[in-house]
Amino acid sequence: MPLKRSDRCQPDDTALTFPAEQTMTYTTFNQAQFDAIKEPMFFGQNVNVSRYDIQRYPVFEKLIEKQLSFFWRPEEVDLSTDRRDFIALPEHEKHIFLSNLKYQILLDSVQGRSPNVALLPVVSLPELETWIETWAFSETIHSRSYTHIIRNIVTEPAQVFDDIVTNEAITKRARDITCYYDDLIAGVSLYHQFGAGQHTVNGEEVEISITDLKRKLYLTLVSVNVLEAIRFYVSFACSFAFAERSTMEGNAKIIKLIARDEALHLTGTQHMLQLMADGKDDPEMAVIARELKDQARQIFIDAAEQEKDWADYLFRDGSMIGLNRDILSQYVEYITNQRMSAIGFEPAFAIKQNPLPWMNSWLNSDNVQVAPQEVEVSSYLVGQIDSTVESEDFSSFSL
Amino acid sequence: MAHIIKILDGFSFIPRKELTLLEALEQQDVVVEYQCREGFCGSCQVNLIDGEVVYTTEPIAFVPEGKVLTCCCQPDSDLTIEIPGGCKVKAKGR
Repeated sequence: MPLKRSDRCQPDDTALTFPAEQTMTYTTFNQAQFDAIKEPMFFGQNVNVSRYDIQRYPVFEKLIEKQLSFFWRPEEVDLSTDRRDFIALPEHEKHIFLSNLKYQILLDSVQGRSPNVALLPVVSLPELETWIETWAFSETIHSRSYTHIIRNIVTEPAQVFDDIVTNEAITKRARDITCYYDDLIAGVSLYHQFGAGQHTVNGEEVEISITDLKRKLYLTLVSVNVLEAIRFYVSFACSFAFAERSTMEGNAKIIKLIARDEALHLTGTQHMLQLMADGKDDPEMAVIARELKDQARQIFIDAAEQEKDWADYLFRDGSMIGLNRDILSQYVEYITNQRMSAIGFEPAFAIKQNPLPWMNSWLNSDNVQVAPQEVEVSSYLVGQIDSTVESEDFSSFSL
Repeated sequence: MAHIIKILDGFSFIPRKELTLLEALEQQDVVVEYQCREGFCGSCQVNLIDGEVVYTTEPIAFVPEGKVLTCCCQPDSDLTIEIPGGCKVKAKGR
């Protein structure tokens, strides 16, 4: 008889003494005694004590520390020149800029919540649990920074935000981005309610098995890796292409901070995928990774095709200096190859050379300001500096 | 002691010893991918065919067997490396 949540929340503590293997319901503090460092990353025991003195995978704590050291807030970046730059952009470039921003908003809206909702109920290691929370939190900073950008450059922010859920070019991709997450979440919630086995839910036969949930988890992580390591980078390329021409530079500065965070997140996901494929973490996961290899590769290839379609949409009214549909499509292929080989997959495309060599210096976080006296002082920040520079200001200046 | 770095299908050189492998390659105008330059993004990986490296900071990025993260390591012996996508040298004078 599966346990229902209501049975377990009785004042008498009998419910809490069930041995762990009987309880499939999620518990916020697992009372069972077990050796936390022998648990797999996912689908082992629910986590109890958030302790980091002993860790199965210390790399996740390193990721947490790194992420915390990156802390920034969007209001630190002055965007007053961007407003003028934006007004001066030709219509087709406004379309490129805003569409790209809308896409970034969609991606971070998903990433700000989904790792928590999908992964926390099934995670089994405290350091990984905390990494997931830290990771998702930093995505919420990204979402806040998009609002900061939009408030600064357009007079009607609602027009931009409202279009995200109605614009077909965006929603088409949203489905592919979220379907693996949603599938995992639906499966796990059934598992928590009914446990493994055959069940009739609302008159429908459902088969719930841990193996199947692990498959869903693996595909979810692959699609997350695609989101962070390919889709985001395509959008970064567009943001930096504007800044390469010395326009929308405040925006590029924010995107640079976001890119630094994303580089860390994709490392986290690559670690999870590699640990799974390796089999030392959970032998069944390694079997699943092998079984689903073709499907996982296809997720990469489909995403690349989708990003190329997006390039068509972005540049439908015209290209911009330094970036057009073809170059962006080549970059999509290039970055897809890179990310595929990073997790041990055979690259899918022929391209060998980075078609956007200037991306590296924009992506490099070496020159992101991190001096403590220059950041995190929120009272100094907004609109305190007159960033307008007129050509007369240089009149007494000679070389 | 100076170590020789040999780039497969490329050339050999002796780097200044204080440089990371990435900086050494850049000084030779070899095109190498990079992003974070501090060991967490994994972009700057090359294949280590032969030799030993020592990490100046332990990388956070996942480094598969047979690869090294050039941004945070230095040669510890003579090296043979292979750059993914081939050894390309930046055009000078631009």
